[in-house]
Amino acid sequence: MNKPEVYVKDREIVIPGQKMARGMTPGDNVYVDKDGFLRSSLLGLASLEGNKVDVIPLASTYIPKVNDLVVGKIEKISGGTILVNINSPFTAVIIPPRNNKNLGLEVGDVVLAKVKAFDGMSSPLLTLEYEGLGKISGCVLLEIDPAKVPRVIGRRGSMLNILSSKTGSEILVAQNGFVVVKPRDHKSLMAIMKALNIIQEESHISGLSDRISRLLDTILSGGS
Amino acid sequence: MLYVEKKPEKLIDENGLRTDGRRPREMRPIKMEVGVLDRADGSALVEWGGNRILAAIFGPREVHPKHMALPDRALVRVRYNMAPFSTPERRKPGPDRRSIELSKVIRNALEQAIFVEKYPGAAIDIFVEVLRSDAGTRVAGITAASLALAEAGIAMKGLVAACSIGKIGDVIVVDPGHDEDMWGDADMPIAVMFEDRLITLLQMDGPMDESQFSEALSLGMSCCELIYELQKEALRRPFVFVERKVVGGDQTV
Amino acid sequence: MLRGRLWEGIKLYEEESIGSSLMKEYMLKELKNGRRIDGRAFHEIRRVEIRPGSYTKSCGEAWLSLGGTKVLVGVSADIGEPFPDTPEKGVMVSNVELLPLASPSFEPGPPDENSIELARIVDRALRSSKYVDLDRLAIAPGKLVYLLFLDMYVLDHKGNLADALTLATVVALARSKIPKVSLSSDGTPIVMDEQIPVPVSDPVINFTFVRIGDYILLDPSLEEEIASDAMITMAIDGQGRVCSIQLRRGFFRDVEIKKMYEIAREKRKELMSSLEGVLKVGQETT
Repeated sequence: MNKPEVYVKDREIVIPGQKMARGMTPGDNVYVDKDGFLRSSLLGLASLEGNKVDVIPLASTYIPKVNDLVVGKIEKISGGTILVNINSPFTAVIIPPRNNKNLGLEVGDVVLAKVKAFDGMSSPLLTLEYEGLGKISGCVLLEIDPAKVPRVIGRRGSMLNILSSKTGSEILVAQNGFVVVKPRDHKSLMAIMKALNIIQEESHISGLSDRISRLLDTILSGGS
Repeated sequence: MLYVEKKPEKLIDENGLRTDGRRPREMRPIKMEVGVLDRADGSALVEWGGNRILAAIFGPREVHPKHMALPDRALVRVRYNMAPFSTPERRKPGPDRRSIELSKVIRNALEQAIFVEKYPGAAIDIFVEVLRSDAGTRVAGITAASLALAEAGIAMKGLVAACSIGKIGDVIVVDPGHDEDMWGDADMPIAVMFEDRLITLLQMDGPMDESQFSEALSLGMSCCELIYELQKEALRRPFVFVERKVVGGDQTV
Repeated sequence: MLRGRLWEGIKLYEEESIGSSLMKEYMLKELKNGRRIDGRAFHEIRRVEIRPGSYTKSCGEAWLSLGGTKVLVGVSADIGEPFPDTPEKGVMVSNVELLPLASPSFEPGPPDENSIELARIVDRALRSSKYVDLDRLAIAPGKLVYLLFLDMYVLDHKGNLADALTLATVVALARSKIPKVSLSSDGTPIVMDEQIPVPVSDPVINFTFVRIGDYILLDPSLEEEIASDAMITMAIDGQGRVCSIQLRRGFFRDVEIKKMYEIAREKRKELMSSLEGVLKVGQETT
């Protein structure tokens, strides 16, 4: 085994194909080439923890995983299946019971659902059969990059907490990058949109929570 | 015919300068900008000499029609298209034989770099629009599309950089311009995954002898290295920009 | 001037193919309170900008953004025979390309009904206002005339393509220069080095309105277009006359149409004063 070598700094921007290390453990979005170099497969941020090398993506696509909570939009209802757009290359389906053909849903409705099954090839199967799942109304649907979902939620929900408590709004961030907001008023919605924008844009620079807090205070205290 | 091409008297003058004033091994000015479009998943605008090439990515997304989906990998599709206003004389819109062939070789050049097996059943659509054409549109297009793929967050083994090498009389020149493209003696576009030194596109038109060919090939590699450096810089630039804005507290930008 | 997706990643979720009941519900609530979801007044037009630089090889061009919508128009010229029914006039051909890179719902292929409708909306505004003096584009009446091709590229679709394309085309034409052509004694054309401007008059401007519930909004964003119940585009010339109209979807009441005409006339003045520098005839493209 070679002596471990690292060529990048923690939180440095890396480019697809860039050599990051040698003799370390490859983590997410890192591949090992034929010469044993660990290289990034994405445009992203290097993350070095112990012996492990990861790349945190800056942009990504939602690929469903079983048990993920997703927000979806009803696209089509026909022949005993409901097709749902879940912001993914894969359109999901809900199979309603025979006695309740459309589950009270219409095209254009937004639902909170859980991924029940997905094998990577056939359509992901969603279910609404858990407490709290189902149709959502009276909200605004926003879309963020799925890669940024963890940043919007924050450590143990800290960022989401700041966003919702400061704006007095209900916010739901689904794993697929859809965000549902029940805003207190117009100003809150504008503040949330601005904050989400900054979280996506500046997630690679430390001190994010503080900046978001200050930003929300400034927007919400200003005149309308 | 309103616009007639005039052949210059000499493609290289007595001082060894080309018709646009460049030396044989001098590239044209190149500017790359990532993220110029809003709706696309990734995009890039490359200004290369008089070329203006816009590339955009949609995907990975669902394949339509569905039966085209591949069970074990992404379906990569490329559409290289020249705008009607990209040449002085208007081009009829829509694909012709040349653009269909170029779409094919560009697809191969880029597909080698994409981890297609990560996106089974999905499509990655690559659109290369030549807005203004000035020789070397395919290599500028590959360079732009590679940037757009990275911005779209598509998993790749590395970036693909591309450049063309030409021959005027017996002189090998880099990055042929319009006159050289029209009346030069040879043209050899090349695309390279530079970190691995893998050639993913190589075409050639016009004869070269053994020493000329080996000179052209090694010059092609060096030019691609230069393009690769510019690509890396273009991808990093927006982040540096944001960081300066935040750290420097400058909110005016 | 242009900012990338990475930096404006957060957006209201929309999709052309399906209307969103949720979005509409929210929009109506806000309209009741007197605002649009992007904070604009009902009859406020988004920011218009022209990107500096040259992006085509045409004889006149404009890369124009209207809010987030981006279009690129290039004017190409040629010479040829006039149409038999208008032997004394130059020929003008309009073509709109809804590029697949402008929206996930645009697909490659020949022009569909939407792009043809858009091309005709722009074309009719230009023709009925006589923005381009086609009489002066005849070189040898009945035999040889200039042909102008207006190629309109949609690069980024964020709503209201008609107004963006019309404005960009008007700017591109105002900036166009074409080679002067004279005739030799035996009637063969001689292309000169001298460049002449395309003869244009006072700009015609298209105004697109949508109706959402009972609210009339000017310059709809993509979200508003999708949520709208009706959409109409009307062109106003330099004398405040309405030159062409296309009711594109749904219905309007007569009072609403009169009201929109009033608004459009007022807005034309406003827009023209903000565009003064841009629309200077024969202005260099670079």
